Amino acid sequence: MANLTGLLFAGGLGFMLLSIASGLDFGAPPMLVGTEIQAHAPQQTGAANIVTSVVLGYRAIDTLGELSILFAAAVSAGLVLGRRHTTAGTQTKGGFILQNGGSLLFPLMMTIGFYIIFHGHLTPGGGFQGGVILAAAFFLPLLARPGAKLHHKSLSLIEGFAGASFVLIGLLAMLEGKAFLQPLMIQDTLGQLVSAGTLPLLYLAVGLKVGAELASLLSRLIQTEAPQ
Amino acid sequence: MIPAITPELILYVTAIGLIAIGLAGVVISSHLFRMVLALVIAEAGANLMLVLAGYRWDAVAPILTSLAEPPMMVDPVPQALVLTAIVIGVGIQALAVSILIRIRQRYATLDRNKAAERMDAEIAATLGASRDISQEAPLGERPLPPLPADQVNMRGDAS
Amino acid sequence: MSSNLVLTIALPLLGAFLLPVLMRSSVAIALWSGPVILIYGCWIIVELWLVGFTQPVSIAIGGFAPPLGINLYVDSLALLFAFAVQLLGLIFWPFTLDQESARRQSLMLLLVAASTGLALSGDLFNLYVFYELAAVATFGLASASGKSAAYVATLRYLILSGIGSVLTLFGIALIYSQTGTLNLAHLAQLAPQQLNNGLGLTAFLTILIGIGVKAELFPVNTWVPEIYATASTRLSAFLAGLLSKLAVLIILRLLLLIFHQPEAAQVILILGILGVVSGELAAWRAKEMKRMLAFSSIGQLGMIFIAMSLPDGQGMVAVIALALHHLIIKSGLFMLAEDWGGAIERLRGSAKASPLGAALFVLFSLSLVGMPPLPGFWAKFVLITELAGQVEPLYLLGLAVFLLATVVEASYLFRVAGILYGKPAAETLSEEIPKSQGLALVTASLFGAGLVATALWIAPVGDGLQAIATQAQDVDLYITTVSPAISGGSQ
Repeated sequence: MANLTGLLFAGGLGFMLLSIASGLDFGAPPMLVGTEIQAHAPQQTGAANIVTSVVLGYRAIDTLGELSILFAAAVSAGLVLGRRHTTAGTQTKGGFILQNGGSLLFPLMMTIGFYIIFHGHLTPGGGFQGGVILAAAFFLPLLARPGAKLHHKSLSLIEGFAGASFVLIGLLAMLEGKAFLQPLMIQDTLGQLVSAGTLPLLYLAVGLKVGAELASLLSRLIQTEAPQ
Repeated sequence: MIPAITPELILYVTAIGLIAIGLAGVVISSHLFRMVLALVIAEAGANLMLVLAGYRWDAVAPILTSLAEPPMMVDPVPQALVLTAIVIGVGIQALAVSILIRIRQRYATLDRNKAAERMDAEIAATLGASRDISQEAPLGERPLPPLPADQVNMRGDAS
Repeated sequence: MSSNLVLTIALPLLGAFLLPVLMRSSVAIALWSGPVILIYGCWIIVELWLVGFTQPVSIAIGGFAPPLGINLYVDSLALLFAFAVQLLGLIFWPFTLDQESARRQSLMLLLVAASTGLALSGDLFNLYVFYELAAVATFGLASASGKSAAYVATLRYLILSGIGSVLTLFGIALIYSQTGTLNLAHLAQLAPQQLNNGLGLTAFLTILIGIGVKAELFPVNTWVPEIYATASTRLSAFLAGLLSKLAVLIILRLLLLIFHQPEAAQVILILGILGVVSGELAAWRAKEMKRMLAFSSIGQLGMIFIAMSLPDGQGMVAVIALALHHLIIKSGLFMLAEDWGGAIERLRGSAKASPLGAALFVLFSLSLVGMPPLPGFWAKFVLITELAGQVEPLYLLGLAVFLLATVVEASYLFRVAGILYGKPAAETLSEEIPKSQGLALVTASLFGAGLVATALWIAPVGDGLQAIATQAQDVDLYITTVSPAISGGSQ
């Protein structure tokens, strides 16, 4: 009975939302802010990827908030999961292929991750995407050898300093008399690797932070298994 | 009165359908992990809806590939918004999974109603008030201690 | 300088990122960094007040003018709440020192930064991001108590909050699809033409349900009794006192600036009435102190929603007065509940053991019910006069519900006071009677002193609130402050 009411409620809600959405002009949005940003972004931020100039320039404080949310989630998960159990070493290791495949893939994935981070202002990608790939580089070796020790201390140091450097770069702009998180050092080299001033640095901080965070979160999750 | 099957109808039905399925899943599910998964589906639907807000017909991705006059590009702002929303969702999902692991360890069950009962019992016990007398235990009952791990089978029930 | 206000958000974030690292190297510096950051935040705002703050200010973050960039809109209302956030963050700071204190204090700093952002921000999606940050920090702090019940309560709150955020995102998508902007001032300009229809109402309803989770709106307030009972008392005090008001502030801004439809006000009125009825009745039936305070909180916020629904901003002064009054009262009551949490029956005779605590409880109860000359009477009186002047029957129903709720409040609060001052049961030893003591009692007396001070200087406080309300209602002032000529797209 409860299931039926739940389904009816969801169905009704979906139908109502659909009728509202059909009133929208799909494919021809008003683009009030969009056209302005597209016109001014290359001069104001110097990034060829306009989405990056929105993420790290026009809406940089949203990105800072997003970074903090991920940090809050990782810290809360650390609080919830508690101390790491050292009995995780009794879990079965992966076989030959898994272990060595993991070790082989590790440097490759790190390279790909850093490539995506560094080119965030030129091609699709950026700090978050690259950071997740960096963390994924740790996943396979961790799953292959569950008892392997991860350098939690250095990961936590990287995480802390990367996050702090994002805010500090923003504060640096204030020291120069400009606004918080204003892009600095805009060179005239649109489309090249060294361009867009502080934007690639911000993405590097984001990528390192996200990578370190997710890697230590996963290793903590693995090591909380109840010993059987 | 069947509406014409246009691309926009398919897209909107997908986005709103995902949200509806997710919300229905949260309401109907009796297992806490399934509720979290339903929430993940609903969040995917909401993100899709946000991305659709920026699409323009026959436009390209908002990336300048040459110094020539850029062709018509899609709106970059919803893409940035969805980037943020996806990361927020991932953070919350990771936290939810950690809490689920803990609940499973402490209460040995992930059934929604059983966990709620254990929670009410524990709140009442720690606050020292008289609980409402339930139907199954008219004389009142001490809260159940957590079951040892070796007596719990894989589904989360006591063996 | 007003542009320093960004530091009230940026510095707590910086502190939160560095705290776990600092704690490993030097515990002494790490323990003090949080309170120092909060004191500096208070100082920035006080300095702004001292040089004279009359006209609202708009701070463009990143140097990008709105609506391209995000701006902070600082009027007296926002500044007052931002100050309350920094101050209450300091008062409710988790001073415990154990292995997890670095994480706890990090989360508290994140909560303070998010709450300040909620008070000051002028962009719709930015408000959503800070709202989610406050939510995740709350999840972490609520589950930090280590009790198994806290985990289940936090998970249920997480799922409810997740549903809310899905709906909020949908509403934001609708608004952006229709108008093409996310800046509140720009939306205020465009709303009369573009959002005054079914689409605007749907967007408002979805965002209302989403933000209403934290504002303890009916029906998404089922998380409140569970979380307040299992989380630490200081966190419950911060949530009930401050965070719920910030969510109410967001809904208020949306209502004032963008959604002027009468249906929007009607929905808020109905939900407010339902909230008052369900909250106060449940509080009357509650047998445990913290649950009683939780339900009473729901009831009080329902009253604030009723005040918010009055047309043409007539209820603004009542909203602000009730919100600030509840902030002080609830924080004080939760501080008393730190030692007095639990079954109310156990508190029989506690007045003899801690006379100051019992006196404070009576003081807070009298003000909550609305006894003159305490501030609670003044706040409720403003609402009653505004409601009585309405012609629509729904508002008169709201007035009737409001008066009935006051009677119910008086009944259950004075029942507790009677138990406190009663004689203890024959077999209880004097050591078993809970006494209110220590830091919690000091904090409660702080709030009590604030209440008495407000009562003594009620006339200037009243004038100040009137000025704040008039400034907050002025939509044209909002639009012209943010951008004298908003650069719209080529339409």
